[in-house]
Amino acid sequence: MPVALSSDIPPATVIPLQTPSGPMALWRSASGRLSMSADRCPHRGMRLSHGFVRGEALSCIYHGWSYSQDGHCLRIPAHPDLEPPAAIRVATATVCETGGVVWLALAQTESQPPRFSHHTPLRSLAFAAAPTAILVALNGRASADGSMQGELAGLSVILLCAPQPDGTSMVHVLAPSDATLEERLAISSATEALRRTAETALATEAAA
Amino acid sequence: MKLYDYILSPSCYKVRLLAALLGIPLELRAVDFHPGGEHRKPELLALNPAGSIPILEDGELRLTESAAMLVYLASLTSPDWLGRDTAAEAARTEQWLSFAQRLTASLGGARLCEMLLRPGDLAALQAAGIAALRELEAALFAQRLHGEDFLVAGRPTIADIACFPYVALAPDGSVSLDPYPSIRLWLRAIRALPGFIEMPGIHRLHELKPEPVHGAEGEPA
Ligand SMILES: N[C@H](CCC(=O)N[C@@H](CS)C(=O)NCC(=O)O)C(=O)O
Ligand code: FES
Repeated sequence: MPVALSSDIPPATVIPLQTPSGPMALWRSASGRLSMSADRCPHRGMRLSHGFVRGEALSCIYHGWSYSQDGHCLRIPAHPDLEPPAAIRVATATVCETGGVVWLALAQTESQPPRFSHHTPLRSLAFAAAPTAILVALNGRASADGSMQGELAGLSVILLCAPQPDGTSMVHVLAPSDATLEERLAISSATEALRRTAETALATEAAA
Repeated sequence: MKLYDYILSPSCYKVRLLAALLGIPLELRAVDFHPGGEHRKPELLALNPAGSIPILEDGELRLTESAAMLVYLASLTSPDWLGRDTAAEAARTEQWLSFAQRLTASLGGARLCEMLLRPGDLAALQAAGIAALRELEAALFAQRLHGEDFLVAGRPTIADIACFPYVALAPDGSVSLDPYPSIRLWLRAIRALPGFIEMPGIHRLHELKPEPVHGAEGEPA
């Protein structure tokens, strides 16, 4: 499933994500390598997405334990001379990045994420609506790969919707690769309008 | 220059933060806001009948609105921070200073409900806060498309400082910042500014500090 846009996670940053396997921390090392781990520090449960990236390791904000890309604890600052036991590790997940979109592999068997030859990522935003309501509001078509195609501001767009555990959706908007700055801004505004429509439709339904 | 200050007040922190970024020394006079309610007692009501903090005094001048304090500090030493290079920039800066009051009312109100158990319609305050965050996210995204990291320009201005604290502290009012990638990058850019100072709940970027040679970063493990 699509989880984030590459441009929203520059080197040496970490962000929180909700996934079907629970809260995760997606982080990019200083050299640019992307990793995902459970968003819970094995020490005392602090959210690792509140932590920070130094070099090639993710550090917990609470007591500074740091973790490698494969989840092993590298360092315990309170015991600088101790080699952390191999048993201390945080669960990790496999992510891959194509065309500026970060994908989480939900199962080992999952096929390669789709590629979009004529579109590039624009922005991600949360809709308080399920993907089905968004598709209706867009008046678009759903593809077999899970993406939606439609038009916003008169331009062809692709929406990648990631349903969240709380019933909302994270929507990643892809704009035509050759869109101008003005057209990108127009698509961004039109996406906000689409959100209002999708969320209002939901409210109307609930009231009915 | 004397600031009537409360360590947990985001509005007071705006003034402390800008003063620190601009290198302006402040004399801090601690106000017992909670639990004492000192801002509503005669001595402080004489300075600010509205019964709010911060209050800033410099000689004859007394200010009771944080936005005016930011304008004053920037005007003294760093007009660049006023965000007034063009008519449009000046107007946009003003717009964000007004927008900051919406953040105070919504996200700040939700935070007071949650932290100080003040009465209030928490759900309505949170909804208003989310509406404001969505506007901010859209604006910051547009700024990014223009290649600018801050609210009105490629450089930080008082607009950023006015909006920063209540946004950064939104989780105190149980409003999540997770769904806003552009806000996240903007908060980071502000926390990375040279001279940045912290307040409880808002930290500087740890990764910019040198790796500790000894001992824990936070409390002892
Ligand atoms: N005058 C506004 C008000 C700032 C504000 O809301 N201050 C809060 C503390 S953070 C306050 O004094 N509230 C009065 C109260 O809640 O009793 C400003 O300077 O921005
Ligand atoms: S909780 Fe993470 S290091 Fe202690």
